[in-house]
This record gives sequence, C-alpha cells and structure tokens, in this order.
Amino acid sequence: MTPAWTLLSAFAGALLVLLLPARSAALSRVIALAAATIGALAAGAGCLAKLAHPDAAPWSFDRDWIPSLGARLHLQADGLSLALLLLTGLVAIAGILFSWNIDKRQRAFFSLFLTIIGGVYGVFLSRDAFLLFVCYEVVILPKYLLIAIWGSTRKEYGAMKLTMYSIGASALILVGLAAAYAAAGGTSFDLQHLAAADYSPGFQAWAFPVLFLGFAVLAGVWPFHTWAPTGHVAAPTAASMLLAGVVMKLGAFGALCVAMPIFPEGFAQWRGVIAGLAVMGVLYGAFTALSQKDLKFVIGYSSVSHMGFVLLGLAAATHWGLRGAALQMISHGVIAGLLFGIAGRVVYARTHTRDLAELRSFDLWRTLPGAAVAFTLATAASMGLPGFSGFVAEISVAIGLWESFPLLLIPLILGIVITGAFSLRALQKAFFPVRGETDAKPPKLPPLTWPELTAIVLLLAVSLAIGIYPKPWLVLIDDGLASPLFQSILP
Amino acid sequence: MLLTLILAPLAGAALLAAWRGAGDRAAGRFAAWWSLIPIVLVALLGFRGANPGGAMAAWSLDWIPDAGIALTFVVDGTSWLFLLLTSLVTTFVLAISLQKGLTSRSYAALILVMETMLLGVFTARHFIPFFLCWEMTLIPAYLLIRLWGGPNAPRAARRFFIVTLGGGVCMLLGFLALQIGVGTMDFGQLAEMASKGDLTKTLATAFAGTALTGPTLLLFVAIAVLLGLAVKIPIVPFHAWLPDAYAEAPTPITILLTGLLSKMGVYGLLRVFLPIFPETFAVLAPWLAALAVATVLLGALAALAQKDLKRILAYSSVNHLGYCVLAAAAVVASQGDRESASSAISGAFLQAFNHGIIASAMFFGIAILESRSGGRRGLDDFGGLRARVPVLCGLMGLAIFASLGLPGLSGFIGEFLVFNGTFGLLPWAAAVSVLGLLFTAVFLLRLIRKVFHGPLGEGLSTWPDLSTAERWLFAPVIALIVIPGLWPQVLLRFLNADTLRLLDFLKP
Amino acid sequence: MNYSALFQQLLPEVILVVTALAVLATALAIEGRGKPAPLSVISSITCLGLLLAGASLILFPATGEAATPMIALDPLARLFKGVVIALGLLAVLLPPAKDEIRQPGEFHALLLFAITGLCLTVGTNHLLFLFVALELASLSLYLLAGFPRTARASEASLKYFLFGGVSAAFLLFGLSLIYGFSRAATLPEVATALAADPTSPLAIAGLAMVLAGLGFKLAAAPFHYWAPDVYQGAPATSVALVAAASKAVGLVVLVRFLLVGFHASGGSAAWGGIVSGWSVWLSILAAGSILFGNLLALAQTSVRRLLAYSAVANTGYLLVGLCANGAAAAGAALFYVVVYGLATLGALAVTAAVEREAGDDSVASFAGLVHRSPLQALALLVFMASLAGIPPLAGFVGKFALFSQALAETTVGTVSGITWLVALAAVMSAVSLYYYLQVLKQAFVTDGETAATGIGIGHALAIGVPAVALVVLGLFPSLLLEPVSTAVFVLSDGRVNPL
Repeated sequence: MTPAWTLLSAFAGALLVLLLPARSAALSRVIALAAATIGALAAGAGCLAKLAHPDAAPWSFDRDWIPSLGARLHLQADGLSLALLLLTGLVAIAGILFSWNIDKRQRAFFSLFLTIIGGVYGVFLSRDAFLLFVCYEVVILPKYLLIAIWGSTRKEYGAMKLTMYSIGASALILVGLAAAYAAAGGTSFDLQHLAAADYSPGFQAWAFPVLFLGFAVLAGVWPFHTWAPTGHVAAPTAASMLLAGVVMKLGAFGALCVAMPIFPEGFAQWRGVIAGLAVMGVLYGAFTALSQKDLKFVIGYSSVSHMGFVLLGLAAATHWGLRGAALQMISHGVIAGLLFGIAGRVVYARTHTRDLAELRSFDLWRTLPGAAVAFTLATAASMGLPGFSGFVAEISVAIGLWESFPLLLIPLILGIVITGAFSLRALQKAFFPVRGETDAKPPKLPPLTWPELTAIVLLLAVSLAIGIYPKPWLVLIDDGLASPLFQSILP
Repeated sequence: MLLTLILAPLAGAALLAAWRGAGDRAAGRFAAWWSLIPIVLVALLGFRGANPGGAMAAWSLDWIPDAGIALTFVVDGTSWLFLLLTSLVTTFVLAISLQKGLTSRSYAALILVMETMLLGVFTARHFIPFFLCWEMTLIPAYLLIRLWGGPNAPRAARRFFIVTLGGGVCMLLGFLALQIGVGTMDFGQLAEMASKGDLTKTLATAFAGTALTGPTLLLFVAIAVLLGLAVKIPIVPFHAWLPDAYAEAPTPITILLTGLLSKMGVYGLLRVFLPIFPETFAVLAPWLAALAVATVLLGALAALAQKDLKRILAYSSVNHLGYCVLAAAAVVASQGDRESASSAISGAFLQAFNHGIIASAMFFGIAILESRSGGRRGLDDFGGLRARVPVLCGLMGLAIFASLGLPGLSGFIGEFLVFNGTFGLLPWAAAVSVLGLLFTAVFLLRLIRKVFHGPLGEGLSTWPDLSTAERWLFAPVIALIVIPGLWPQVLLRFLNADTLRLLDFLKP
Repeated sequence: MNYSALFQQLLPEVILVVTALAVLATALAIEGRGKPAPLSVISSITCLGLLLAGASLILFPATGEAATPMIALDPLARLFKGVVIALGLLAVLLPPAKDEIRQPGEFHALLLFAITGLCLTVGTNHLLFLFVALELASLSLYLLAGFPRTARASEASLKYFLFGGVSAAFLLFGLSLIYGFSRAATLPEVATALAADPTSPLAIAGLAMVLAGLGFKLAAAPFHYWAPDVYQGAPATSVALVAAASKAVGLVVLVRFLLVGFHASGGSAAWGGIVSGWSVWLSILAAGSILFGNLLALAQTSVRRLLAYSAVANTGYLLVGLCANGAAAAGAALFYVVVYGLATLGALAVTAAVEREAGDDSVASFAGLVHRSPLQALALLVFMASLAGIPPLAGFVGKFALFSQALAETTVGTVSGITWLVALAAVMSAVSLYYYLQVLKQAFVTDGETAATGIGIGHALAIGVPAVALVVLGLFPSLLLEPVSTAVFVLSDGRVNPL
C-alpha cells in the first residue's frame, strides 16, 4: 500500500460518490468513510514503514506531464509528508463521522469533501511546484460550495470572502512561482531545481515576500487572517474541521517547502517581519477570541492565534523552529478539528445555538457531559497544556524562537496566558455555566452518538499520543527536514 | 511498580469514566476504595527501601532523544514522603467527600486524575515530566473548584487558573533557556553542572550574542523559574488568588489544595530550584528571605483580620509554608554550616508533610462545623462548643495545637528544625519570623476561644457529637499528628540520606 | 499556377463553400414548395459539411510547396483550421431561440462562409489575401449578428458593422503602409526589409494601424465597445463564433504579424528596462483590457454581457503572452485561446439552455440550475472554473503557462521581465473569480425553479463536448500544448525574444 493510495482513494471516492444513483445516496457516507480510511491507512502504513526503516529511500513517482512547460508529475513521500498525510486522513475520517447524519444533498457533500482531501494529499506529496500549485488550487471551489450550500451564519458572505482571499493569495503564488521559474531558466518547476537556482538578492527581496505572502494568507497570517474566522464559522462542521485542521496547513506547508527553500536570501531579509506578523497574529487572535460571543468564532480566532505559532516557528528558521512549526501544524490540525467538531456538530446540532450566552440555559455540563469532558480536554490541548500535542509543538517553537528572536518570547508569554484565558472563558460559558436556583430546568438532550464518540476519541487519542510520546512524530518530521531543500534555510 | 503507582489513580478515573450509569455514592465509594491501591504501593516501596544511589524505584522513557529529553521518574526518600502524603490525603479527601455526600462520578474521577499528576510531580526527575504533571493538575483543580464550589467559585477558579498558568509559562521558558543554553533539562544533570559551576559558563557561551554575563543570564532564568514556584506555594506577593480559591472551594477540595497542591511549590523549590540554582539562589537569598518573612508575618496578620474560618486557615497555610521558604533561603546563605543547613532542609520537608496532615485535620473539622450549621462558618457563628461536642473540639483542638507547634505534636518538629537551622544561618530573618509564630498563636487561640469556649451559640444545643464514621476518619490523621510528634525519626530516616546528598550539591 | 495542388491544399475551404451552396440550394428547394425549410435538416447538412471539412484536414494534409504565395502551409495554419472548424461545429449545434432564425438556409450559408473566411485567414502570410479573407469572415459575421428581426439584434449588428468598418479601414491603411515600406506582400519578406531598417516610421505606423484593426477583432480595450451588445443581442450561434473562433483567428493573425513580420522591432515592456517597440504598446493594450474587462464584468447582471466583458479581459491575458515576443509564450497564448473558446462556447450553450427555461439571461435566471439539471450545472461549473483559471481545468494550465512563459521569455539573466503585467493579470484573474462565482452561486446555492424540460442532443453535445475537452486538456495539456508550441516554433524558426 503505497502513499499513492491516499490520492487515489480520495479522488476515486469523490467520483464514485458523485456517480451514485439518487436512490442509494445513503451509501455515500459509507463510501466516503471507506475512502478516507484507506487514505489514512496508507499514510499510517507509510509512517510505520518509515519508522521501521528510516534509511530506506522514500516512495516517489516521477513522470513527464507537460514537457513544453517543464512540469512533471513528481510525487514523493518523505517523513514530513507522511505525517501530514496521516493527519489529513485522520481529520478526514473524523469529519465524515461528524457529518454522519447530514441529510441535505449527501452525494454532493461527500464528493466535495473528498475532493478537498484529495487536493490536500496532493499538495503534501508534490515535489513539483506546478503540480503542488494545481493541487493547492483544486480545493478552492469545493471549499466555496461546501460553505455556501451547507453552511450557516452568513454563509454566502463567509464563503465568498474565504474564496476571494484564497484566490487572491493564489495570484501572488502564481506571480512568485512564475518569476522563480523564469529566473531559473524557464525549464523546470521541480522544487529542487528551483531551489538550486541562483537568484540575485534584489530579485529575492521582492519575489520572496510575494510568494511567501501568497501561502501565508492561507495559513492565516495577520493582518490577512480575517477570512479564517468568518469562513470557519460559516462552514458546515466537517468543512470547518477540514479548513482549520488541514487546509490552513497547506499555506504553512507551501511557505515551508516552496517559498523559503526557493528564496533563502529573501527569507533571511524578511524573517524579522514575518516573526513580527506572527506574534501579532498570536496576540491579536487571542485577544479577539477573548471577546467573542459565538463559540465557533472563539475557535476560529484561536486558529489564527495557533497558526501564528507555526509562522513563528518558520521565522525562527532553526531546526527546532521548523520542527515546532511542523508539529504545530499536526497538533493544531487535530485540536482544531476536535474543537470545531464538538462545537459545530455535537453541540449545535442539539441546541441550535452557538451563542455563549444562550448556551447557558442548556447547562451542557449536566445535559451533555460527554461533550463537556471532550471539550474540556480539547481546550486543555488547545491551551498548550503539557500532555497534549500543543505543548510539544509550542515548546519546540519557543526553543527555536529563543535561538533566533529571544525578545519575542515576552509577547509570546502574554499570548499563551491570553490563550488560557479565552479558552477558559469559552469553556466555562459554554459548558460550565453558573446557574441560579431560579433558572428554568435545562431541556433534555440526546446523548452522543457512536460516530461522534468515535471521532472524538480518535482525535483526542492522537493529540494525547503526540503529547505523551512525541518521538516517532519527531523522527518523521526530522526525516523531512533533512531534505536538501531546507539546508539553505537552516543555520 | 513506579509506573503502576503513578498510573493507578488514572486507571481508576478511566474506569469511572467508562462506568456509565454509576450512582453518585457508588462512584464515590469505588474511588475511595480504589485510592487505597496507591497507599499500598507506596507502603510497599517504603518497605523495600532504597538502593545505594538513593533510588527506591525508577522508570524512564525517551521523549525527544536528540534533545536528551526523557520521561524520567525516580522515587527517593524525600519523594517517598510526598508520595505518602499524596496518597493518604487523597484517600482522606475522597472519604470525607463521600461522607459529606459531595461525590459524583466526575468529581471522584477528577480527584483521581489529580492524584496521578501529583504523584508524577513528586517523582519526576526531568523538567518535562515534572511540568507535564504540574500543569495537568490545573484543569482538574479548576473544575473541582468551579463546579462544586461556593457562589463566587467561578471567579476564584478562573483567577487561580490564569495566575498559575502564567507562572507555569514563566517556569517553562526558564527551563527552555537552559535546554538551549546547556542542552539538558534533566534535574540531576543540571544540578551536577551547577555544583561544578559549569552552568553559568555554558550559558554565557550559548548566549554570547546577548552580551550578558553568565550569572546575569542565570539570574533571569532563575527568576523565571522561581515565579512559577512562588505562585504555587504561594509567596507574598503572589498569594492573591489563594484566599478566594480556598474559601470558595468545597472543603474537601480545599484540603486537596492546601494539603497537596501547595506542596508542589515547596517540593519544587527545595528539590528542583535549590540544587540547580545554588549560586543564583545565594544572590536572591536575602530577597527571598525577606519575602519569606513577609509571607510568614502577613499570612499571620491577615489571618488575624479574618472572620471566616476557612479564610483564617487559608492565611494560616500561607503563613506555615512561609517557613519552608525561609528554610530554603537560609540554606543557600549557609556558607558551609552543614549542620544548620541539614536541619533547615529536613525541617522544611517535614514542615511541608506535617502541614499537609494538620491542615487536613483542621479543614475536616471545619467541614463538620459547616455541615452541622448549615453552611455557616463565621468566627462568631459558634461558641461554647466544647461542652456540646467535646470529641470534635478535642480533636480539632489537637490539630490546632499541632499547627501552633506544640511540642510533642508533629507541627513542632518541622518548625523546630527550621528555626534551629535558620537561627544559625540567617538570624535576623529567624528572629523576625518568630513574631509570626506569636501571631499564629494569637489567631489560633482566638479561634479556639471564640468557637469552643464562651456561651453556647444560638441553635447549637441540638448538635450531635462526632458520628462513628467521622471518628474513624479523624483517627488516622490524628495518629499521623501524634506519632511523628513523639517519634520524629519515623519520618526523618527517609530524609536524612537525601538531605546530605542535596547539601553535597550546594557545597560552594 | 498549379490548380490541382491549390484545390488539394484548400480542400477544407472548398468543401465548406460547396456545403454553403448546397445549404442554399436545399433551402430554396424546400421553400419553393411554400413552407420554410426545417432547421434540423439545414443544420444537419451544415454539420455534415463541417465534419467533412475537418476529416479532409486530417486525411488529406496539405503537403509540398504552396501553390501560390497567398497561402501558407505551416503546421499552425493546419492546426487552427481544425480549431476553427471544431469550434464552428460546436457553434452550429447551439439551438436558436424561438423564431430567432426565420431563414435557416441563409443563416447557415453565411455561417459556412464566415468559417471559410476564418480558415483562409489563419492560412496566409500574404497581406492582401489576409485582408480579403478576414473581410469575408467579418461581413458574414455582421450579418449573422443581426439575423433575428429584433431591435436588439439590429443594434448589435449595426454597432458591429460600424466599428468593424472603421477597423477594416485601419487595417487596410496599415497594410498598405507596410507594403509601401517593404515593397513586399508577405510577412517573411516584410521581416527581411525590417531587418535592414528596424525603426522605420512608416513600418511602425503601419503596424500601429494593424494592431488597432486586429484589436477590434480581438475585442481588446479600447476597441471593445461592440462586444457587449453583440454578445447580448445576437443569436447564440453567432456569438459563439465571434467569441471563440473569430478570437482564435485574430490571435493567429497577430502572432504571424508580430513573430514573423515584426519580430525585430519588438522592444521590451519590462519594468525598468523599457525598450521602445510594439511590445510596449501591446502591454498597454493588455493592461487596459485586463482592467477594463474585469472591472466592468463585476457590475453585470446579464450573463451574456458578463461573458462579453470577460472576453475583453481574456484578450488582455492573450496579449500578455504576445508581449513577450517569443515562441513559447505565443504558443501558450494560442493554447489558451482555444481553451478560452471552448469554455466560452460551453458557457454560452448553458446560457442558451437557461434562456429557454427562464426567458432571459440574467444571473438570477440561473437560480436552482443544479436542481433542474445537475449535469448542466456541473458543466457550467467546469466552464466558469476554467475561465477563472481553477485547476484541474484547462483554463488554469493555459493561464499558468501563458504567464510563466511570458515571464520566462522576457527575463534575461537577473533582469526580471514583464512582472508588472503578469502580476496585474494574475491579480485581476483572481478578481474575475468573483463574477464567475456569482453565476455559480445562483446555479448551486440559491433555490429556484426545479421543473425542467430537456434539451436536444445537439445542444447537449455543445455543452458536453467542451466540458469534457476542458477536463481532458486540464489533465493532459500536452495533447494540445505540444502541437501548438511546435507549430509556433516552426513558424518563427524557434525564435526567442531578441533581447
């Protein structure tokens, strides 16, 4: 089972679901789940194989595609790719489980969902900038449709905003990539080739920020983050999970594997600015989350804050920093998926509100204890408490930062504390409300269903597994970071 | 065995979580019985004794190998004492919760989770597992205060959480600096390096770019770490969260907070901070001593001004833990007076242990008063109880006198050793602190006078004395107050070897 | 002159003309019996003729020396004759609105003449013949645009004709200036003359006029004013021909002029490295078209007008490719024009289907299309996404190849090329997604009429074939990109930007 199965299963699943006759629409979720599971298993098998034989050559696939352009179908699965593939697979499974009882236009829903997954797999596997960009853009329209059709809370606005930000950022990427391609001789889009080319410092000084910003917008860099909260809130649960959990990671992945290796000198000139923006993102996201009224908005802004850590890790540009950034990508993927899943599906489907003040009357702690426990643990993970994945990632980033920008640690402490504060505020308002004797008795809510429970346990287990025993994940990430691509960035 | 010990309570919590439809009482009873397992395991460890290196049991797992980070847990004599305290107090808390009808599935599970984390903190020999367990106590503690506490509990819980989290982050960053600077966060290795004076040198080389000298860098790191500890103990002026949290938490949880959580700070200060930052600590010592004295005095004075019994005892806890800080400050100022230093250190550990037991007893007494009076616990709400409920008053009185440091009871040994050591090392601080002892006596005696003596308060004439169950609950605690008071060696023998080893690190 | 060779080399055109005559004859024969000729019969004959012409192109490729200097037998000519015929075939399949075409015979004959003209246009390097061929196509198109007897169609036709007339005058004047300068009638000879005197004001003035004339054909701003009215008022078939085939042909002519004739006086539009030459003018035209087209499209509520402004914007992208003055970028532009033609034709076909249901082409009429006909909606998604440049559709590959090759051709060493233009094009292309999405939003998100009447098989083919082609070309762009690139390389002797 090669890593190619991730791509194949997702796209084949999407096509299969689309072709289902209307009367067997109910089958679509089963097919989707099967496709996602195959993808996750393929990624997991790849990870295990990598751990068992760390020195074996990575799986790769390299064929001519568009010779006149020099674009190739070049896929390769190193440790970093595999870890991210596994994350995608897991979030996909959880997303499908959380959408188990969706009833509106099921086939289209799961087909679009799997298309996004396939695009994400493609980005993580690509070693050709053109192919990477193709996969990167494939997800744009499915994202729009998922949000605009199945969303809630100003869905059309949120969907349009998100899409326009994405496509605008893509335009920057296009310009940056085309410039790099042209300057490198106009013969190949291979990442290694582009990274090995010799660009003048003056060229890198403008080309790098263009390319980097293009990717960073999707990673939610401040001040271009505003699409993220509105989009995530408007999206249906599975899409929010996917958007925050995985699609934002595409931006970070692109910044790490495309923008930085191609223009190392440009990066060196701009990394201070990037670090500053990232810290702003951490702080701004946290402070804004502190005053939100909608539970999903809290999570949306917390994503901005957490993605700030990823960018900080990238800006630090030491082994620890990059490692931390990669780990934070994985960690935030799981945690954001979990938070959105609980807030958007488990709670909202039962209470039909996400307003923190209105949730008070449901006394969720007593009426839906399972969700409360799960959300508490997820909140703890999101705060970066040790024992969960976020902690390992954040200390790695902090070490990286200490090596590069020690002074930035001071605002970072503030950021972490505010993160604790807003997480706690949302947690207590939503799940542990203060109730007087006079309050009406809360309505009875149906307990967690099996698919929901499975999804919650799956994601929590991953976060805990990383938090308690991060070694294998670090081995995988280090394998990716050992690639010659990154040698020009690392000190 | 060590892993089993640490994880046993967590397993209990998991069982509780999985046990759908368990009744509140059944869950509480299960948890209380389950919590005996750690006690048995701790006792077994105690009988097995230590190997020549001082370790009674150890367990380790590579975490991030290339950074030398491992989840290392080791039990030595000192740890063992804290393990004993943890397992005993947890069982006690679960038992009195059950008796008060407070328990439910989640409540008991949270307490068990907290126990696992405490056991971890007291055995961790590397910063990462230490911090992991340290921070993981936060969520259970927060929820316990918030969900089962009084009317202002949400605010108190939130404040507790945020302040402690902030402290934790500071401590984390301090240690990360060490990881980057000297390449390890292992307590043993760091202490080793510190005792050879390598720590400052390596740190200075690693951060040559900052143009700061090694000692200055180390000072920053030490202050960051100290902040985290100071919040937890707490040392004045970081104590603002404490009275609210203690007063608003349900009484069994207050016992947990004061009996165990505050000990994390003391343990960290003596076992972690002291050996790693001896030189820096020496610089900080006068300031820390001053803060300790302030903690002792202000704790006592604030207690004098309180009307609420729980708040009085809360401030009294601040006051008592101040002695431990004082001892620590004194030790680093020692300049080679080994005898005084060893006395001070042993005293501080003992004081921590004894305070845990004594505070449990006193708060239990208050819990009983509270439940009989329907929730009132003002200083003036009672009176003349001695005649009405003599056994309760007798046992509470015993605990209060132990807290006062009456010779023959356990509180005395700790305070005696602390003062014995401190007078030899920091006479001025010791002298001022004695004033604290005096104030303590005043407010505790006032408590006895107002509550136990005088005319019988309104509505108290129908009070029954202690029930059999309550007596049985009091019995082991009182035993642990009396026996070490008469025979201190029973505890000190576990400390001696470790104390000497600790002092070896401090040798200039 | 060897007439048999000429006949063989112009076989497709001959077939088309014969078919046109056959169509007229059939129509006359049927109408002579007092009833109007049925559309189905007439269009079947037209299709058959187009298929035969296409088959002759494949089966009997023109070989050997050109029988007359008026025609060129390069691969580019052959390829684009095929493209024109294919697009024409798809355009014929579009059904007219009710009572739009009262005389199908005349309509289809004109259609075939227009296609003949377009085929001849792509296959010549001769200045005079070029003009004649182009005018044959144009005159037919003016009539095709005004065929329905409605005020709107008449207005469209009149505007088209007036603008077209002026542009023809420009073109002719320009051609005569060039002839006057070079004393040569074919483009290679012009190139030779130009090599001796690259900055001749006469030649430059001539080229400027030619550019203005062709700018009209391509609907480049500011020569685009006819486009929205024609797109809105003319029958779907005529619009498809104007939008897809005529634009492709205009681009081929431009490529021939610029790469074969005036390659030497290209200059450079690179930021900070401007060298005077036609690429500077072209870059201004491109930038203007991109800005105008996209910004005005944002405000449209009629899908046909929206497609018209999108056509202006897309012309801008095509000109970006030509600005580079190199074969690779021109090849990418030619690839893109085909892909663009397919997408626009398909979008017009879906619009025609919606018009039949809802009566007009407003964006709101598309509401609930996915419930009426999921397949049409899916096809619309493909067309709009391809126009917006979303992968894995051919429009994406086209734009990407166009922009990156344009940059690559103009980048010399460390001096970056027309980055400003590429950046503008990329950003405005992102903006374009907004208006395409407005249509898609109606089709997929908004609820609307759900009852549906089916569409005919021809119409379904006109929707389905471009959709499939866009997906296939998106996944395997080499199928078209390689032959086009090769053709341009052969045409221009593999010339790269002379800078």
